[in-house]
Amino acid sequence: MNLKIILKIIGFLLILNGLAMLTALPFSIYYNSNDIVAILISGIGTTILGSLLWFLIKTDPDEDISKRDGYLIVTFGWIASSLVGTLPYIIHGSIPSFTNAFFETMSGFTTTGATILKDIEAVPPGLLYWRSMTHWLGGMGIIVLSLAILPILGIGGMQLFQAEVAGPSKDKIHPRVTETAKRLWAIYLILTVAQIILLLFGDMNLLDAVCHSFGTLATGGFSTKNASVAYYKSAYIEWVIIIFMFISGTNFTLHYFALKGKVFNYFKDDEFKFYGIFVVLIVTATALYLIIHNSQATDSAFRDSAFSIISILSSTGFVTVNYEAWAKFFPEIFLILLLMGACAGSTSGGVKIIRYELLIKSSLTELKKLIHPNAVIPIRHNGKAISNEIISKIAGFVMLYMIIFILASVILSITGLDLSSSMGAVAACLANIGPGLGSTGPMTNYSEVPVLGKWVLSIVMLLGRLELFTILVLFSPTFWKK
Amino acid sequence: MKVKYRIVINIIGFLLILNGLFILTGIGFSIYYQSDDIWALLISGIGTSLFGLILWLATRNSEISELGKREGYLIVSLGWIVMTIFGALPFIIYGAIPSYTDAFFETMSGFTTTGATILTDIEILPPGLLFWRSLTQWLGGMGIIVLSLAILPLLGIGGMQLFTAEVPGVTKDKIHPRVKETAKRLWGIYVILTVAETLLLMVGGLNFYDAINHSFTTMATGGFSTKNASIAYYTSPYVQYIFILFMFFAGMNFTLHYMSFHGKFSFFKDNTEFKYYLGFTILASFFIMIIHLPHVDFHWEEAIRQSIFHVVSLTTTTGYVTSDFENWAPFSRMIFFALLFVGGCAGSTGGGIKFVRHIVLFKNGWTELKRLIHPRAVIPVKFNGKAVSSEIISNVQAFFIFYVLIFVLGSMLLALLGVDFVTSAGATATCLGNIGPGIGTVGPVSNFAHLPVPVKWILSIFMVVGRLELFTVLIIFSPAFWKK
Repeated sequence: MNLKIILKIIGFLLILNGLAMLTALPFSIYYNSNDIVAILISGIGTTILGSLLWFLIKTDPDEDISKRDGYLIVTFGWIASSLVGTLPYIIHGSIPSFTNAFFETMSGFTTTGATILKDIEAVPPGLLYWRSMTHWLGGMGIIVLSLAILPILGIGGMQLFQAEVAGPSKDKIHPRVTETAKRLWAIYLILTVAQIILLLFGDMNLLDAVCHSFGTLATGGFSTKNASVAYYKSAYIEWVIIIFMFISGTNFTLHYFALKGKVFNYFKDDEFKFYGIFVVLIVTATALYLIIHNSQATDSAFRDSAFSIISILSSTGFVTVNYEAWAKFFPEIFLILLLMGACAGSTSGGVKIIRYELLIKSSLTELKKLIHPNAVIPIRHNGKAISNEIISKIAGFVMLYMIIFILASVILSITGLDLSSSMGAVAACLANIGPGLGSTGPMTNYSEVPVLGKWVLSIVMLLGRLELFTILVLFSPTFWKK
Repeated sequence: MKVKYRIVINIIGFLLILNGLFILTGIGFSIYYQSDDIWALLISGIGTSLFGLILWLATRNSEISELGKREGYLIVSLGWIVMTIFGALPFIIYGAIPSYTDAFFETMSGFTTTGATILTDIEILPPGLLFWRSLTQWLGGMGIIVLSLAILPLLGIGGMQLFTAEVPGVTKDKIHPRVKETAKRLWGIYVILTVAETLLLMVGGLNFYDAINHSFTTMATGGFSTKNASIAYYTSPYVQYIFILFMFFAGMNFTLHYMSFHGKFSFFKDNTEFKYYLGFTILASFFIMIIHLPHVDFHWEEAIRQSIFHVVSLTTTTGYVTSDFENWAPFSRMIFFALLFVGGCAGSTGGGIKFVRHIVLFKNGWTELKRLIHPRAVIPVKFNGKAVSSEIISNVQAFFIFYVLIFVLGSMLLALLGVDFVTSAGATATCLGNIGPGIGTVGPVSNFAHLPVPVKWILSIFMVVGRLELFTVLIIFSPAFWKK
């Protein structure tokens, strides 16, 4: 354990956080809103706090970051960011309760998008910008985490993506992370800018375009409007967001290859194929139901269905219609979508398609093994055989996911939520989606959840975002043994 | 290798002969109570036996040595279905359950020891039929004991291999001698426990008829009662404690009972699954009592009794009820819904996922955390002091994945057919786990009568799929099964 290096890096993260807060100032000044002081104080305060840690702690430059340090940095990095991230809301007074402010910021940094704000439009523009910024920063963190850090730490089958992007294949964390981060962030930035420009064409103002693009690329889902994307009543804007939500749910390494000219890599990837086919099937089936059963017009049926389903599947959580009211059985279908997630290596949350793909493949193989007990039948992904260790890690992941889902739902129902609301809320937070079901559904928010429930959900968001193991490993006695 | 149908038909014929004879045992009660169901029982009993006899005679030249793994899967799956088809006859011929869908559902619920019922008024059924209804569960329980302790381990299903070594008197690898030996010893215990419970219930004031019916369904972890109010009808704490005790026994691995009868009680400290089973029952009851105390106006003794009763009833997958647990508090529904996924011990008559699988998976999940820190270390998952092989773990994982998949897709299917969210999840969970009462409109104080016809058929399939540990049925649908 190297406490110094951990604190130093967290200090660095805080400096970034503080500077990112200050980027909200232009909007505050432009709109002449009353949040300038709050943003200035929190931005400068956070930067100073971070600088103290960064400059005062002296570490040995030859010392490398160990795995254990990695787990601690990731976990506490997220928690520390969420703590300082609450400052603007509290100082300005737009979210007076610390529980609420922490929930909102955690929801931001974990790119969940669950909100406790009853009236979003009453919050001044600078703060709204910071709210969406937490998403975008969280999304940046996740890309690096899932494609560079988690594979090295060996979490939940993420090894599958190792060494696909980054040049150097060293085992040390530092050079690898830097290389990968640079390349993937470039793509993230390009896509964000592209979406902002496309949304501006749809007659959105700059603030809204920036905030919605941040929320989309990070698969977050915070909007600047109470009615979410439904506010704009524009088919063009909805389609732009649909396409970018789908893109954000795709493995970013595939985008990287596409930019380098290898566009066909998309269609060579087993997970992307599953993702694409699944989306097309569910969207079409839902649209047909809406057309035939609810007699909706064809174009709006497809748009509503694509928007809602991709929004949930990519774990974004933007809303255009109250999908819970489509049919009696829709909440059930959405609960399942809530637990799906999109591709690994994207900013989306949830269990992720690759894990389902491999588990189903492995379960079917078990059936074959019953008949041919001595045969060795490998499980393949993208043409490569997958080792038993990886499958076992994935199964371990899903098992822990279920346990956490059930335990948290039980706790939430004890705090007073009904069955489908508590299951929906836990699923939506664990998978970092945002809107759940029932009283936490697409047409409402999390403001009515009791305090205990909000804290549980905040923890659940972080657990889900960091792929469970990153945090759970801290509670294992082995971790603390020398 | 070709599937040898002759031996499959031969054994199913034999099962039908037995089935018919068992139907006839209900006549004793019909005569004693002078009820009008004698003819229905007589016709269906003799008819079933005759049909079985024809099948058996037609294929009598088959060799027992033809019995291979594939035949084993077919016999088990078809055996349960054919028994159900014929077991429904008394209800239909008598007219107590006029719809074939309902009669099939009720009988499947019996043979799979589920205990879900479509009867809105149980007490109007004549005693002979009610006895047959309870007997289907007892027979199902007998089948399950042999299946889970002798047949499934040989077939290599879902981690059941973990018990192979513990089953008494087994050395050979062929199915036949093994099944016979094991069956004899374990059925002996099953009968002894049933008789013991019957006697203890009679001491508590039940008449012989009710005592034997309830003992049948307790030992099979079935849950059919002869009363509309289920066990709530018997307000005596003594009777309810007897039920708790015997439900707990029925949810234990029967090899442990076998050991106890031989004076070996070391399993209390050696058997991992038993320790978890006991510990879970105590902790869960305590937890449920504590969180519910502010919401219910039970006397303290009653609160303890009610909590233990329902925890044991749901985890052992019996499904008796003494009160409407869904309404104890607003959050009760969620808590009892979670209990539907526990299941009894392997080698018991209980259904569901079962303790052993939860333990193995949980330990493996936890071990993955350790492996993260020491990636090169070999850290085994231990069960009963022995390391569990990675083949067994992946087998258990596959079981779990299929279970969850069937649950999820099943409840979606039910929802598509117009059943509400809570009920479809509850009904699927309770039928797949062979429990009985679900939540929502199939909760503890309601029944399955109002569900649409297709839903009843789907749930019947879930019952048999769950009862036969998924793989036995699923494998028949895999192309590899039919390849030569």
